[in-house]
Amino acid sequence: MPNIIELKNVCKSFGNTEVLHNINFAVEEGEVVVVIGPSGSGKSTLIRCINCLEMITTGELIVDSIRIPDEQGRIRQIRLEVGMVFQQFNLFPHMTALENVAFGPRKARKMNKSKATDIARSLLDKVGLAEFENKLPGQLSGGQQQRVAIARALAVNPKVLLFDEPTSALDPEMIGEVLDVMKNIAKDSGMTMVVVTHEMGFAAQVGNRLIFMDDGRIVEEGKPSDVMKNPQSERLKDFLGHVKHH
Amino acid sequence: MDFEFSVVIDSLPALFEGAKLTWYITILGIIGGMIFGILAGLGRIAGTAALGEKPHGIFIWVSVLIRYISGAYVELIRGTPIIVQAMFLYFAFPMLVKAVTDIERFRIEALTAAIITIIVNAGAYIAEIVRGSVISVNKGLLEAGMSLGISRFQLIVHVIGPIAIRRMIPPLGNQFIISLKDTSLFIVIGVGELTRQGQEIMASNFRALEIWLTVAIMYLIMTTALAMTLRHFEKKMKMF
Repeated sequence: MPNIIELKNVCKSFGNTEVLHNINFAVEEGEVVVVIGPSGSGKSTLIRCINCLEMITTGELIVDSIRIPDEQGRIRQIRLEVGMVFQQFNLFPHMTALENVAFGPRKARKMNKSKATDIARSLLDKVGLAEFENKLPGQLSGGQQQRVAIARALAVNPKVLLFDEPTSALDPEMIGEVLDVMKNIAKDSGMTMVVVTHEMGFAAQVGNRLIFMDDGRIVEEGKPSDVMKNPQSERLKDFLGHVKHH
Repeated sequence: MDFEFSVVIDSLPALFEGAKLTWYITILGIIGGMIFGILAGLGRIAGTAALGEKPHGIFIWVSVLIRYISGAYVELIRGTPIIVQAMFLYFAFPMLVKAVTDIERFRIEALTAAIITIIVNAGAYIAEIVRGSVISVNKGLLEAGMSLGISRFQLIVHVIGPIAIRRMIPPLGNQFIISLKDTSLFIVIGVGELTRQGQEIMASNFRALEIWLTVAIMYLIMTTALAMTLRHFEKKMKMF
């Protein structure tokens, strides 16, 4: 499979602090890559660079054959093909669940209202929230909000989905429902996914590849089961020791 | 204490005329002030992350210039008393025009000066209300919208705008009421608004109690009407 995402010698700095050091990283079409690492290791920054919510400082980013920084004017094109799910859901609070999901197709894909609504309905159904379409985000539980957010990201029909710690803000009993939705997307649609998470079960079950980041570098990568069973670095051994207890 | 109710009745026609003028200055002032306020408020955050992505190239400098002009306007107006602004516009500004141009008989009508003063003054405060409401909108919502591939303009119109407007209503209510009451200061430039009418009646019959009580109640009715209108808008908007 060809690479849909490629980072070549990417560095990212905030002011004088370099948070990503010379990252080389690629994702094939249809691959599910899980990124783990301690907080502050740069994993969120890494995926935020992929859809240009953060601009890379040096190096090259290629997404769906659009090159950054050479083709800066085509950032919106990248974003149309790369959806994102956030830790804090970030649903539009003044729109119902249905309006949230239909907003992307209408404004980004320029669909008419009835077509966008049809798409939104079927996606809400897919994430098991058909009967909640007229609820505002504030009337939904965290797990439900995150499922709406996943439906919203899917609605513009992207080629890649990025997940930035999608279950970290959820109560424990709601994590399962969100992970189930993500598993279904990975299995049914063969969606390319890059998932930053601490859910090692999800990584083992769904991930094709596991990446361990520390201090702005990719320290280890490989098949999830291999990486988890045979961690090479002390840092990863230590990290796995901490997450396994939860 | 003798309270002559007939004094109140007799003063009503003149006071109503004054109230009408007060209302007129206020409404025009608020409408103009909203336009100034929205422009200056957005101007103060032009090219910052609050309105989406940061600009590139020449637009960086354009946005810096816009921010400085808007900021200078807000600070200049907030930093001087409205009564000084009104007197400057009415008495000093024509002299300034005369001094720097050849126009001999440049004059601003008192009523025009009053309306302009309210517009410019309210605009500066409304600018801060607009700015505060816009920057209070969760940045994550913009990121969510941008990551769907939606343009910045669409996001400002459909996401930031509606949320910010809801948050603006309570402080706008404050400002509208303050602007209405500020019109009473135009007594100093001879605009025949409510306070001036009261003052004139008072000067002829010396019935301070009746006149100022009536004047106060008329202000109260007008400010209550403004407050209730804003309440109505607030309730009409979906709560979240």
